[in-house]
Amino acid sequence: MRGFFRSRDEGLDLERELRASRPQPRDEFVQMVEGRVRETPSRATRGGFRIAFVGAITACMLFALAAVGGLGQAASAVGDVAVTAQRIVNTQGPTIVKKSSAASQYGKPTKKKIKKKVKAKKKVKAKRQVRRAGRPRFTG
Amino acid sequence: MARDPLADPGPLIRRIYAYVAYRVGEGAEAEDLTSETFERALRYRGSYDPRRGEPVAWLIGIARRCIEGARLRPEPVATAKETADPLDVEGSTIERLTLAQAVERLDERDRELIALRYGSDLSARQIAEVLDLRTNAVEVALHRALARLRKLLEGEEPAQSDMRLRERPSTL
Repeated sequence: MRGFFRSRDEGLDLERELRASRPQPRDEFVQMVEGRVRETPSRATRGGFRIAFVGAITACMLFALAAVGGLGQAASAVGDVAVTAQRIVNTQGPTIVKKSSAASQYGKPTKKKIKKKVKAKKKVKAKRQVRRAGRPRFTG
Repeated sequence: MARDPLADPGPLIRRIYAYVAYRVGEGAEAEDLTSETFERALRYRGSYDPRRGEPVAWLIGIARRCIEGARLRPEPVATAKETADPLDVEGSTIERLTLAQAVERLDERDRELIALRYGSDLSARQIAEVLDLRTNAVEVALHRALARLRKLLEGEEPAQSDMRLRERPSTL
């Protein structure tokens, strides 16, 4: 270590010397390699360009469609297709709505109502029989 | 979106070249390896994760693998400079070494540290991340490497204790 500093004192600054006498390539050689590197585009650059190109094309198409109302038309066409497909797929009969205003008014009769109806029918029947019994026979 | 690690390549090329040149010596080989590093970086550009370090550290990792790969490949035609053992070349102690020659005479580990610190201009913390070491260990190892380099420049051979340390990669 002491020797190292002594050498520095003697003026032999080796590190500076090494940096100063660093091997330098010929300018033509540097230009040649540099040209070779620059003429080969990187994948990242190429990929970026590709993405930008696709984005630009998509934006142009959207603008063109929007200008002629193509977007709305396309949306309604998709809706129509969906409805048609639903019709084709749906093979069941008509759905019966059980809870409706009509059903609540004229829904299934209760037992009481049924009994009343039966009694009334019997009465009518009995009256008819009495009427038949009281009338003289038709003889022509 | 991932950040492009090679957005500003100029300074990166200079730093990587300096690192490679410190490791293998200046010249055509350093240029070839730098070029190979950037070729690989271009190929695996998408795999760069900014959370795991700066672009320069990522490139240094690639450069290290390139250097290792080059070492494994058989040398095509060796020149006298390439084949000569640096230790044999420096047989005559009278000749004063230049800084580059002194760096070449350092062992592989020291040269790597010098290249990372003064070639690619990484901080001790960044070097620690690249080499998977503790920052403190890197600072100590760098200090020792500089001391050995200074001895070489002063015309001294590194001490035996230094040589022993060089043989142990765990202590750096």
